[in-house]
Amino acid sequence: MSSKMRRPGPTLSLVPEARDPAAPDRGPTVPDTRADGRLDWSISMASAQAGDRDAYRRLLEAITPYLRALAARHIANRSDVEDTVQDILLTIHTVRHTYDPARPFGPWLVTIANRRIIDVLRRQGRSSAHEIPVEPEHETLSVPEANLQEEAVSARMLRDAVERLPAGQRDAIRMLKLEELSLLEASAASGISVASLKVATHRALKRLREVIGKPGNRT
Amino acid sequence: MTSTPDLIDSLVADAQPVRRLRPPAMRALCWLLFAALVLVLVAVGHGVRPDLMLKLRQPVFFAGVLAALTTGVLAAMASFMVSIPGRSRRWLLLPAPALAAWISTMAYGCLTDWVSIGPDGLSLGETARCFATLAVTSVPLSLLMLIMLRHVARLAPAPVAMTGSLAVAAMTAVALSLFHPLDATVLILLWNFGVAALFLAFSGLYGKRLFEWVAR
Repeated sequence: MSSKMRRPGPTLSLVPEARDPAAPDRGPTVPDTRADGRLDWSISMASAQAGDRDAYRRLLEAITPYLRALAARHIANRSDVEDTVQDILLTIHTVRHTYDPARPFGPWLVTIANRRIIDVLRRQGRSSAHEIPVEPEHETLSVPEANLQEEAVSARMLRDAVERLPAGQRDAIRMLKLEELSLLEASAASGISVASLKVATHRALKRLREVIGKPGNRT
Repeated sequence: MTSTPDLIDSLVADAQPVRRLRPPAMRALCWLLFAALVLVLVAVGHGVRPDLMLKLRQPVFFAGVLAALTTGVLAAMASFMVSIPGRSRRWLLLPAPALAAWISTMAYGCLTDWVSIGPDGLSLGETARCFATLAVTSVPLSLLMLIMLRHVARLAPAPVAMTGSLAVAAMTAVALSLFHPLDATVLILLWNFGVAALFLAFSGLYGKRLFEWVAR
């Protein structure tokens, strides 16, 4: 989704756009939001129904911030809010013939907006039923392998298994895997050739895999 | 996805003049006139039940038909009212008293004279004719209602579909009571409430999809 690119666009560009062309006739109505604003919207919608495109554009641009605030009250995600606003605008366009100018515009608008907001919330509810947010505490609490206690148990088990290896293999594993020396360092420290160390490590890992991999040994 | 200003541009470019809907009460009246026309046509084509005059003098039968008719009228009004955004949802309760009256006349009929089988027994031919009346009455009424209320597809389709189908079911029940000699109480119950329940369940489940299909 291109929500990050889209988000600043409308909010920044819309506000001056909405004010500039409408400044002369809407100047006094802007500070007085409630009573006069509604009357204005009602008249604009009536002219829009008659095909007046300028009135329609002014109306849509005026109600967009209002719809955005309405949607943001219920929907947390910013890109979902913008999708909802667009959805509401599309619905308004589809059912604009159902508006009766004799009746107030506010309830008509809010009913349609609530409809679309509820739809979005339902969709979110459905999708979140199949998703689990992954947070740090979930990894340690709900996944048993990630639990620290379990880690300690399996570490002890591994150490015991290493102890039971033949001496050459045990030294090779200790130096190369537990102390993390390089092959050359390990060879210099123990006096065993690099090739023998490799063979011993390979055999030790194979044996450890057999010992730990047995079903009876698993916790 | 387009940005919101782009969307507004395209909507404005598409803003043809639209014809406003007439007041919902008047549209409901149009639908009811059509329903009356359908009932009259069925009456002419099929003929009323032979003992209609006799039955209409029985208060329970008369009250039942009247209650069903009232339910149909009020449910039609309610669905046209609620289909307009911004109207109160309490309009949905409008048919409730008439519906209660309809149900109680049925229940009263069941309690006072339970006729398990009519004088001629259960005849399959009559049942088939009942089905014919059911289809001839309900299909055109449902279609007209769906077309008249297609704008509701993007609004709140389920409650509107349910009140609308209650209206259709009540009208169909009136037609069945007037045109078919249903004496067995079981059959009356079946044809009245079976139809209503069927329509309500169907519209509750598929109302949204039906409206979307018609509105497309």
